[in-house]
Amino acid sequence: MDSQCVSILPRVCGVLLVSGSSLPDDTSLEKLLDWFTTIAQTGTSLLEACPCLVDFVSKVAFNYTSGSSILSFTLKLTGLIGASEDGFKVLKECSVLKLVFNPQHWQEAGLWEDPCLRIGWIQGLKMILKHSEALSFFAQADLIEPLLQLQTDSSLFVASAANQTLAQVLLLCQSPSSVGHNGSKNRDLEHNSASMETTQNYSGIITKVSDYLNKSVVLKEISQLPGSQQILRLLALLLVRVGPPLRDTLLLAVINSLEELVTTSCSQLTVPLLDVILAANSGLRDDCVPKQRLIRLLWVMLNMKKPVDVMQAAAAVLRSHQSDPALSAHSARVLLLPLDIVTGVSLLDENSTEEELRILITEQLKRKSCISMICVCLSNIPQITLMASDCLPCPQRLIVTAVLLLLRLCCVDSSSSSAGCVEVVRFITGNSKVQKCALEALLVLSKSPGVKMVLVEVFKVLTEYLNSHSSDPSVLQKSYQAVIKWVRVCPDLSCITDQLREGFIQAVRKRACDTRWEARDSTVEFLGHLVGAPSCWAFTEQEMEPSDVLLGGCSFTVPLLKEALQDPESYVRASSISALAQTLTPSWQDGTALTQEQEDIVTQLQEVLFQDSEGFARRAAVKYFIAWFSACSSPSSCWLLMQSVPTVLSQGVADLDWEVKLHTLELAELVLDRAFSDPSPSHPYAVMSDQDHRLPIAGQQSDLLSSLKNLVDWGVVSALLCGVVDCDRPVALKACQLLLKLRGIVCPVMDNTADTRVFCQLAGASVMQQVRKIQEMGKDTCVVSEACSEADKEGICASVDPECVSVCEVLRVLDLDEKLSILTQSSDHIYNSPLSLLQDILTAAAASSPPGQDPRQELVMDCY
Amino acid sequence: MPEIKVTPLGAGQDVGRSCILVSIGGKNIMLDCGMHMGYNDDRRFPDFSYITQNGRLTDFLDCVIISHFHLDHCGALPYMSEMVGYDGPIYMTHPTKAICPILLEDFRKITVDKKGETNFFTSQMIKDCMKKVIPLNLHQTVQVDDELEIKAYYAGHVLGAAMVHIKVGSESVVYTVSVNKFALCHSGAAWIDKCRPDILISESTYATTIRDSKRCRERDFLKKVHETIERGGKVLIPVFALGRAQELCILLETFWERMNLKAPIYFSTGLTEKANHYYKLFITWTNQKIRKTFVQRNMFEFKHIKAFDRSYADNPGPMVVFATPGMLHAGQSLQIFKKWAGNDKNMVIMPGYCVQGTIGHKILNGQRKLEMEGRSTLDVKLQVEYMSFSAHADAKGIMQLIRMAEPRNMLLVHGEAAKMEFLKGKIEQEFNCYMPANGETVAVTTNPSVPVDISLNLLKREMTLGGPLPDPKKPRTMHGTLIMKENLVSSEQALKELGLNEHQLRFTCRVQLQDPHSDSDTLHRIYTHLKSVLKDYTIQHLPDGTVMVESIVIKVSSSAEDANAKVLLLSWSYQDEDLGSYLSSLLKKGLPT
Repeated sequence: MDSQCVSILPRVCGVLLVSGSSLPDDTSLEKLLDWFTTIAQTGTSLLEACPCLVDFVSKVAFNYTSGSSILSFTLKLTGLIGASEDGFKVLKECSVLKLVFNPQHWQEAGLWEDPCLRIGWIQGLKMILKHSEALSFFAQADLIEPLLQLQTDSSLFVASAANQTLAQVLLLCQSPSSVGHNGSKNRDLEHNSASMETTQNYSGIITKVSDYLNKSVVLKEISQLPGSQQILRLLALLLVRVGPPLRDTLLLAVINSLEELVTTSCSQLTVPLLDVILAANSGLRDDCVPKQRLIRLLWVMLNMKKPVDVMQAAAAVLRSHQSDPALSAHSARVLLLPLDIVTGVSLLDENSTEEELRILITEQLKRKSCISMICVCLSNIPQITLMASDCLPCPQRLIVTAVLLLLRLCCVDSSSSSAGCVEVVRFITGNSKVQKCALEALLVLSKSPGVKMVLVEVFKVLTEYLNSHSSDPSVLQKSYQAVIKWVRVCPDLSCITDQLREGFIQAVRKRACDTRWEARDSTVEFLGHLVGAPSCWAFTEQEMEPSDVLLGGCSFTVPLLKEALQDPESYVRASSISALAQTLTPSWQDGTALTQEQEDIVTQLQEVLFQDSEGFARRAAVKYFIAWFSACSSPSSCWLLMQSVPTVLSQGVADLDWEVKLHTLELAELVLDRAFSDPSPSHPYAVMSDQDHRLPIAGQQSDLLSSLKNLVDWGVVSALLCGVVDCDRPVALKACQLLLKLRGIVCPVMDNTADTRVFCQLAGASVMQQVRKIQEMGKDTCVVSEACSEADKEGICASVDPECVSVCEVLRVLDLDEKLSILTQSSDHIYNSPLSLLQDILTAAAASSPPGQDPRQELVMDCY
Repeated sequence: MPEIKVTPLGAGQDVGRSCILVSIGGKNIMLDCGMHMGYNDDRRFPDFSYITQNGRLTDFLDCVIISHFHLDHCGALPYMSEMVGYDGPIYMTHPTKAICPILLEDFRKITVDKKGETNFFTSQMIKDCMKKVIPLNLHQTVQVDDELEIKAYYAGHVLGAAMVHIKVGSESVVYTVSVNKFALCHSGAAWIDKCRPDILISESTYATTIRDSKRCRERDFLKKVHETIERGGKVLIPVFALGRAQELCILLETFWERMNLKAPIYFSTGLTEKANHYYKLFITWTNQKIRKTFVQRNMFEFKHIKAFDRSYADNPGPMVVFATPGMLHAGQSLQIFKKWAGNDKNMVIMPGYCVQGTIGHKILNGQRKLEMEGRSTLDVKLQVEYMSFSAHADAKGIMQLIRMAEPRNMLLVHGEAAKMEFLKGKIEQEFNCYMPANGETVAVTTNPSVPVDISLNLLKREMTLGGPLPDPKKPRTMHGTLIMKENLVSSEQALKELGLNEHQLRFTCRVQLQDPHSDSDTLHRIYTHLKSVLKDYTIQHLPDGTVMVESIVIKVSSSAEDANAKVLLLSWSYQDEDLGSYLSSLLKKGLPT
């Protein structure tokens, strides 16, 4: 820990005591606690490190005139100090502990009403409960009472923290021997008598908790509903967290009340009640009595008279993956009922036990509220598909059919009718919520066995959606995702006829010209993603790319994407560039000769780099060249690529957008890697013979020199030097790493005579100035002039060019290691440090003036 | 009784990240989804686990509404939709939808710039999130579903800011950012209707302040810039990409034009063009002054403001530079600051909030020696000025808004507790007012309302009578009979369930007859007559001078002018209506002699 921090901490504590309201901002106290927590976590004693804290805590506790935020902070800090046994002892000795955690103390001061104080109390208490001494204190001070009261606090935050703290208390009570006492045997003996006493107290705690839960679970009147919900949440948490035998004790204490609660069939309690039952059920053996009673409760809930509640119960049962197959099967049947009723597809056998539920659900589906019911059904289909086939109420293929029919019924432009519930159609037609849920279900169902035979239907429905003018953009996006998913899963697309393909192409074309940019963007993205799908069997019984089967290949997609390059929305332009890269990657990998169209694209992309006013498109353009360079097995043999690289590098590194610069450096890295591992041409545009394709051998200066020259010619070195002085840290870091890489390759090999022959011209005067400044800071020599005059002697450098630097010399002189160590740190590591925080607290206190007179107060409250 | 519940997860008694949950008519709505820039970890986002523990936000929330583009109101949106997985509808105005990604990208850059940032959204996530946003037009009622509708109104706080009227059945809530004075006199868009919402949720940032005019601040700003330029100094204005920057550019451009100044003004961010594009596109959303000037010339085609190159920072002579980011914690603005900090001729003007842990924060608090990399220090000699151009309403504006909308209850958010308390006291003189802390729920009971269908015939009849047709904005009385369907219960049960007392309806009628006897004799004669006519009925002659036939009461009195003229007063209950009307006709015929 920084000694400077420790030295100014007492002053900070003094400031907090007298002027808590003039803190730098609302995060300061939290950050201060973060720092203390970090100290405590490193194993250092917080009190040893910061001895002034006890005094601070005492002063605040005994003189509670501080603001609520300082009091809350102090309570948490007390907890943090008391979390260690030595800290606990000190706090106990100075009587702080008893005072700070005594709710009565705060109530008498009229401060308990403030939720900020209660949250501090709870969190402090939770922090302190790390050892048996603390538990003993908790029991003796009878803090269980206020803690139980806070379980149903009006503040969500307090109630939730109280839940967590109670769970922690019970965990500690569960095994008092397993916590604390890391002292010697003698110490244990000393504590022996106390232990016996506290064990008794702990059982008192458990009894109190059990009684409280048992009493509170039952809903006596509707006004207690929020409290009941809170108690059920607590119970579910406890049943998950604590282990046997405490878990069984709690369960036995409340099971009668739970049974009573189930009979009240209060809809608002269905979900929390189920959470409790399922949490209780998950850890029990099949043969134990409570297990049977819990299963019975689940059956009761699955047979309630309110269809919405029954659906929720069924969904919860399926999600819990509990082991009773009959329950799961019944739940699946319940969940599929709405789909069965709406579509008329017989998903379920005639079953008299469900007849009543069927009638109730049918009635419900004739109302507006049918939407949520259908969505619950659809969103649980993934769970149903995970079930063992013998538990499934019907083959998955039938579910697919029903979902497809539902999608048709929802589609505004579809003329489909169903044999099911007609009244529901007016509510679901055009409803994007149902459409999205159904499409999500269709995505999952693509993995179902035997669904190949419905592929044509799937394709037709999705085409309908893509064609429909009323489809919401998010529905269109999901439709495209569904196409991709099904194409990936079904390698046999032989069922896609020309007619189907024609319809699909028309739909895609239509959406590419949609007035909504979201729809256009999803279309363009889809074209790119389709390229990544694995090969498939086509109608012609040939193995083909899915984009060829569905869209007729590049002849369709490339012109469409080229058109999208002119889109008014930059997101679409960027997506079209990415999609073009994805589309053309196979041809780059194959080394196919460039077409005129591809050459035109390159020209357009360079224009984007130079002229596009928005970063997204420019970022995509640089990434296009990265993809091209990566895919090309021999970039040097592709003249257009090699011609473009210097332009992209020089333009990209001077861009205003930090990500464009970063991507440009990624391209530079690729070029650099290739230069030192691959055969390289003597000139980027030169036609090379096979003889030139030879690896530079390590130690051979001439080869390295040649590669380095190429890098300079392509603009790589200039881009790196430009990047390393960039004001955006990620850019400078990347450039620095690459320069170090270059130094590692070049400098050990080159001798002084050789290196001076490679010079690099820097693009901007400002870059030059900054590079010089760094050089000057690093060494006293002026490398540039020396290098140039040396080169001049050899006739390489005609005149002393002030923008010209010797590469090797620059690499040596620039203190790249030091720069890297700075750049690797967070850009705010100085100002977001504990020392900076402490200084800010002191400065803010010194600068504060009486309220209402400080214009800075406005600024503190100002928005971002 | 139905109730509306409001729970702030953020902005409850603080000025952190706004995120307010509203439950109204069985619908759950999230108002704003902001980010706290002061934290680098999960604490910067609202804790959604308080909403639903299973993480399925889409099941719980019916929609999310974003009031404006500031990051403390929309910054957590991509996290919520793309990382937590909320897939439901998100609403914001067209300008907010256009500008949001710019600021999110701007902040993403700052975040990536710091080391150790994890769990943060990518550019793709921002885009995917924006694709889910449904844009709102002003004054257009949008049906989220069959029951929930929302309507946006001009708020004027920043470009595209809106207040939103949320309605489910007859219950409604209005949520507004701090409405500024432009909204109060904005002629292009009508002011919010006198919609009398059940709750008006309003920001209360400057709850205790009556602020000096924006014009004074602008004048002060120009004066300071001008003075610095005159003495040959340089002015640095750290800004975020969009928002205040454009307004300040317009100010300087106009001033330069007027004063014929030659010193260069530079804008360092590459996003200016896009920002200007949006200001042009959404000109109708800007304030009157900008719109008026726009008619004369395009305010956003700056003659004096040029793009900045990093080499310009070293140029001699005066200049003004707008540079990002706004808190001087990284990037271009910090680089320029380091260059210029040592010269007392120069000036830095901070036009906005700076979180702790930034250089902006330090210099605003008066620190003059800043620690730099490698244990070096930077002496800050340049002048540091702070100037808030924030368009938050003051106490006066908020009271004006309340009087306009006439809410039944008022709920204050986004302000400091002590200051809110002051405003609450003022509001409570006229309205109920709440100021929940984060995590606390306010429940307000509303009047139950039962929607009914009106028969076409009744509507037609009203029309023929010349009356206006029913209009939700102009409620009026209409007479008819309400037919209840589906549930038939005994009247006793109905009374019990509705908590009503039974009312007895009695009909009365006067019958005059000539009878020369005394009143008591006439009554006895009536009794005898009815006994002979109504054999199967219970007829009683009661000692109080009345005759009762079942529930029908008959009294006799003499006329003041004519002692022979008797007035019979008949009264009967609804159940005996037939018998009552029979008796009245019978007695009108007279008594047998």
